[in-house]
Amino acid sequence: MPVFRWGRAWGLGDLEREVDRLMHGVNLSLQGVRLARQFPPVNLYELEDAYLISAELPGANAEDFELTIQSGVLTIQGRRDDPEQVPEERYRRQERFHGSWQRSLNLPERIDEERLSARFDDGILKVTLPKLAETPVRRIPIEGTDGPRAIEEQPRD
Amino acid sequence: MTDEIAPVPNEPEPSLPVEADSSAERYVFQPAIDIYDTDDGLVLRADLPGVSPETLELQVQDNKLTLFGRVSPHAPDGARLVHQEYGVGDFLRSFILSDDVDHERITAKLTQGVLRVTLPSVQKPSPKRIPIDVD
Repeated sequence: MPVFRWGRAWGLGDLEREVDRLMHGVNLSLQGVRLARQFPPVNLYELEDAYLISAELPGANAEDFELTIQSGVLTIQGRRDDPEQVPEERYRRQERFHGSWQRSLNLPERIDEERLSARFDDGILKVTLPKLAETPVRRIPIEGTDGPRAIEEQPRD
Repeated sequence: MTDEIAPVPNEPEPSLPVEADSSAERYVFQPAIDIYDTDDGLVLRADLPGVSPETLELQVQDNKLTLFGRVSPHAPDGARLVHQEYGVGDFLRSFILSDDVDHERITAKLTQGVLRVTLPSVQKPSPKRIPIDVD
């Protein structure tokens, strides 16, 4: 199973930043037809106390896809069928994705998998991954030949 | 393939309400579409994730069908984009309709971010027999 690693693997973000820079001062920039390289395309955002994964799944119903989590990997999978069963020869233009899809995403570290939540509205899936609270620094005793060195302060004398 | 419907090449539509918030930079994308024939016309489907019926405008003017869908940000203010595979912006695409499309009977439905527009053909009247007078 190919597991996805977060990063700007396709340089898309960089490209958009570049467009952003070129279009500075202009409030409109037109992009080409949106043909996703992978279906569904996914964004990851970091908020103060959580991460947010969003995915564009237009036309899906919440029961059409499955969201599972195992060993720090979030998998979303489903099928995007043509509800109308249009025969191929009737299409004049077909740009939209059809078929089954699956994405496996490595979850960011230090998230609370128990409190993960998901919403699906207007064709956009949003998964909220709350961050784990910071745990206090813990000292680890180091054992040596002269027995365990206690963590307690030694009297200085 | 006839020309009953033809997508218009990229062009921003200055007449559409894109300028509502002129301070904020907005992206506009062309949505992916399907077009297919049916027994009584054509159907156009467009992927508009993030667009709701309240933020979609569909208009026919002269022979041009234009769809414009406004999308609000997918993440709250202050969110830091860590990884990006799609850009968030509005959707705009125009199509030239032929006279074979009955403009008065166009209907549209938006379900979970997919727009479906039905473009019925003009109903051609059935041939009428012309009686020939005989002297």
